[in-house]
Amino acid sequence: MSKQIQDAYIVAATRTAVGKAPRGMYRTTRPDDLLAHVLKASMAQCPGLDAGEVDDVIVGCAMPEAEQGMNVARIGLLLAGFPDAVSGMTINRFCSSGVQAVALAADRIRLGEADVMVAAGTESMSLVPMGGNKVSYNPEIFLRDEHVGIAYGMGITAERVAEQWKVSREAQDMFAAESHRRALHAIKSGEFEDEITPYQIEDRVPDLATREIAIKRRLATADEGPRADTSPEGLARLKPVFAAKGSVTAGNSSQMSDGAGSIVLMSEAALKRSGLQPLGRFIGYAVAGVPPDIMGIGPVKAIPKVLQQAGLKIEDMDWIELNEAFAAQSLAVIQDLGLDRERVNPLGGAIALGHPLGATGAIRTATLMHGLRRRRKKYGMVTMCIGTGMGAAGIFESF
Amino acid sequence: MSSSSFIVRKVAVLGAGVMGAQIAAHLVNANVPVVLFELAAKEGDPNGNVLKAIDNLRKLEPSPLSVRSRADLIEAANYDHDLPSLKDCDLVIEAISERMDWKHDLYAKVAPYVGAQAIFVSNTSGLSINQLSDALPEALRRRFCGVHFFNPPRYMHLVELIASNVTEPALLDRLEGFLVTTLGKGVIRAKDTPNFIANRVGVFSMLATLHHAERLGIGFDVVDDLTGSRIGRPKSATFRTADVVGLDTFAHVVRTMEETLPDDPWHRYYAIPEWLQKLIASGALGQKTRRGVYRKVGPDIQVLDLASNDYRPSTGKADEAVVEILKIKDPAQKFSQLRASQHPQAQFLWAIFRDTFHYCAVHMASIAHNARDLDLALRWGFGWDRGPFEIWQSAGWQQVAGWLAEEIAQGRTMASPALPAWVTESGRSGVHDRTGSFSPADERIEARSTLPVYLRQPFPDPLLGEERSYGETVFENDGVRCWHTGDGIAVVSFKSRMHAIGEEVLDGLLQSVEIAERDFAGLVIWQTEPPFSVGANLKKDSGARKKDAPSPVGSLLKKLRRGAESLALKAARQVGMADQLMAGRLAEVERIVEKFQLATHSLRYSNIPTIAAVDGLALGGGCEVIMHCDRAVATLESYIGLVEVGVGLLPAGGGCKEAAMRAAQEARGADLFPFVRRYFEVIAKGEVARSGEHAKELGYLRPADTLVMNRFELLTVAKAQLRALAESGYRPPLKPRGIPVAGRSAIATLQAYMVNMRAGGFISEHDYLIGCKVATVMCGGDVEPGSLVDEDWLLDLERTHFMELLATEKTQARIEHTLSTGKPLRN
Repeated sequence: MSKQIQDAYIVAATRTAVGKAPRGMYRTTRPDDLLAHVLKASMAQCPGLDAGEVDDVIVGCAMPEAEQGMNVARIGLLLAGFPDAVSGMTINRFCSSGVQAVALAADRIRLGEADVMVAAGTESMSLVPMGGNKVSYNPEIFLRDEHVGIAYGMGITAERVAEQWKVSREAQDMFAAESHRRALHAIKSGEFEDEITPYQIEDRVPDLATREIAIKRRLATADEGPRADTSPEGLARLKPVFAAKGSVTAGNSSQMSDGAGSIVLMSEAALKRSGLQPLGRFIGYAVAGVPPDIMGIGPVKAIPKVLQQAGLKIEDMDWIELNEAFAAQSLAVIQDLGLDRERVNPLGGAIALGHPLGATGAIRTATLMHGLRRRRKKYGMVTMCIGTGMGAAGIFESF
Repeated sequence: MSSSSFIVRKVAVLGAGVMGAQIAAHLVNANVPVVLFELAAKEGDPNGNVLKAIDNLRKLEPSPLSVRSRADLIEAANYDHDLPSLKDCDLVIEAISERMDWKHDLYAKVAPYVGAQAIFVSNTSGLSINQLSDALPEALRRRFCGVHFFNPPRYMHLVELIASNVTEPALLDRLEGFLVTTLGKGVIRAKDTPNFIANRVGVFSMLATLHHAERLGIGFDVVDDLTGSRIGRPKSATFRTADVVGLDTFAHVVRTMEETLPDDPWHRYYAIPEWLQKLIASGALGQKTRRGVYRKVGPDIQVLDLASNDYRPSTGKADEAVVEILKIKDPAQKFSQLRASQHPQAQFLWAIFRDTFHYCAVHMASIAHNARDLDLALRWGFGWDRGPFEIWQSAGWQQVAGWLAEEIAQGRTMASPALPAWVTESGRSGVHDRTGSFSPADERIEARSTLPVYLRQPFPDPLLGEERSYGETVFENDGVRCWHTGDGIAVVSFKSRMHAIGEEVLDGLLQSVEIAERDFAGLVIWQTEPPFSVGANLKKDSGARKKDAPSPVGSLLKKLRRGAESLALKAARQVGMADQLMAGRLAEVERIVEKFQLATHSLRYSNIPTIAAVDGLALGGGCEVIMHCDRAVATLESYIGLVEVGVGLLPAGGGCKEAAMRAAQEARGADLFPFVRRYFEVIAKGEVARSGEHAKELGYLRPADTLVMNRFELLTVAKAQLRALAESGYRPPLKPRGIPVAGRSAIATLQAYMVNMRAGGFISEHDYLIGCKVATVMCGGDVEPGSLVDEDWLLDLERTHFMELLATEKTQARIEHTLSTGKPLRN
């Protein structure tokens, strides 16, 4: 059912290691700096490709303001050394922003209106809090009961999903512990080495003893989130944070994080010109809405939609990157769609690896493309739930 | 050199144990730079040990810090590297473990580094000051003495000051000034005898309690019910106090007495009973090990039972017959009945009083300079409402002395030394009178200290037998008394119980302001004892007059034992608008609310400076009064809060208005919301400040408000502030025109937080409604963000939403429930 005139190929995909927020390694690192870093790194993976050939840079960001405001895409690409002629656009669909950027970039190529595109995502939850620096709700929300869900925090929506889909506290904690186990194992076996481009952190701190500015450097090479001391028993001791008698805890929710990822896409013509070997091909992408108060269930609507578009079955998916916003919603989605737990997040998920909101889609696309290739698998998916009630899912093919 | 010119640039505290660290904390509470020393850590950061102790200060409850962030201001140091920094310290306080040999070693180590003018003191709780002094170089001995703080040092008023034989007298005077004004303590000069005054008598009293309880077979839980607030002592009474102090610490103090007082007639009682030795040996040291005389099992408290040698539920209570005797107002009658009763519990109480009286009479000459020092030491150091001599004197000196002599002769007392002659001399009716207190050494009455620092205390902690008059009355009604002492400043003090604010207090305030405008330089609102005020009392008839207000120290301790929630509770009880409500006279309530707003308005806009002098609780309406005075002068131990939400209401005496105005002012034109949100959270949670400093952090007090460490200096400082304002050509502030409010989007955003709290089951539907109303008032109503309003606009909103809440069944149920049970209702 594809209406495209040509395919969009992925030739490069990279990301930073993900830091914990708000007190992790990137606590003072600017998200526009992280963005410039991954843009540069992804272009470096395309030898022979002139940066001037890039038609547009699309960057996903969930809270595009302050340090990541002012059209961070344009600022990031200029800082990365792209020529002035290259344009940039920042887009926002909350947690799917990163993969949304990939889909939009692919679409420009598939329509035949661009040959080379860069799609990226960046987010600093250390510097720009969830909800932004100024939260302001519309009074209309509170006039009708059915709108109150708009005001719900993500934790409350997870509690609702846990309740409606009957996901127990124990199952959530087991899921969370498994996420950490997989992530640690993946780090140990070097699974993320292909996708991570280490970032040199430079913190300028006043040294009150010497009266000088000390520069503290640290090379960020590995994700900061996974904890070796996580166990179901330890997780069971945590108190629910969002509801007095709830089941969702800090331990079975995704971590707040900082990070960035970048993907380079090309048409077949551009591939031929540059002689670059593609990692794979973009297949399709879909979004769908659900009630805001159970936003976590979003993928249940988006996944069948994108499968139908692509003419594929869920069984065709060898690898599913399902963003673990919460163990509760992840389990509800897995249960509802009958997903194979072994194929979902084989390297761990956001509970361990972190979730830098608008960057996650680009970061996990990089994980998927390199993972599929390493394991010689064909189809993979990046999917997530989205605040205020949506789901997104994108399908990729590996060569 | 006068005490006021004693400059303490910096203090060093040696030893970061329980006492040392907490003393350091109290010093930073008082804005005194402090460096805290501990042994260097064997590995890692050499300051590892001391940093751990400093960090622990943040977790202690009740907090030794006025605000937790103050812990960062304590400088960490260790003996291996930092001794040279001692040279900058004008005062060095040693507070290491109670071992003479360790202390001597330390003194030898630090003495070379102590500055030439510095004062060196030991916080020993009982070791001989003269023996400690011997370990010091000759030159330093003259600048050495004992300064004994009580645990917890922030809250316990007492500090014992002990000279050695060679301590320079002028130095003691300077130190006393510093301890009293800068640290806010009550100083007693003690003699250099083991355990000094308070611990000597207080611990004996506990040993006597132990002895008689065992003799009469009374369970520990019953003992505690008998020896707590029923007899004017802290609720933790005897054994719970021992658990809190630590059974090992208690044993240590007893052992000191055993070793150092071999000739004491009561020496054979200076011993630890076998059961207590066993308890300590098993590691049950009290609260710090979660097991002592008591232990907590789930929600239940269990007490050790000596008969079964096991814990059992702690349910023992005093017998009703004995409780009835204890309720007798007249002390003479009470003691006579206790003594006459055959009930073992009555016999027990009489015996512990009798033996303590006996002990105090025999030992006073050797341990204290006069009876006042002994009584105040027990009040300030052990939280007794009255000292032992005060109790004796109030019960009829001669009668009790006669009983004592008789029972000594019969061999019924614990020991049998004869009473000193002064006790029984004819004509003696007590040890305290208008002119002073009895000094056994000089056989005469000794007046209170005349050191300059005490000129700052026009009304020191009152003692039985003293006459107390609060100036000349200018005006008086049922609610307040307005008075002056001839200095041109009017003082208004509330007469109501717990200084609740009823209509007659409001009338009194309004009239006092009017009189002060006409005849005085300004008006100070000051209470003769804490609390400042527990808030509004909308009962028409406030008939309940001030009754036996607990002594200041007693109430200080009682405050200490209450968490913020129960503070709010207390206030809630006082709101008591039940009568009007029951009568369905909502209009009547609204009229009083309006008068409340009028009163706070007049405090702000009168033509004279108004000062709130705050000590203790200041809740609800009490807080609103403070917020509207030109200045507040508050003690460190001021617990201020707008707690109306606890009973389903909102601050309507100008509290919400004031918070909205302060938010607008602090925002200085920037986005209002974060500022409004901060105040909203404080009011919507009914948060009570844990100190004067914390009240500034929460915004109940303003940056320009003054904090005072010693509550007995409060009035003096308040008057000084008032004079400064009056002298500067005081004019009331101009009424603000155009106060920006955060408006409807801000209300919605605050609502969004509460929607989540409600969905999470953290707040009820009614809590949500109250929160929405607080948000509506504080954001100026359903108007566009940034709209400009005036004070009346905000006051009208306060009143309207207060009345709407009052009209709800759930708020009425909360008020009724709180009035009848004293507990908050979650509905």
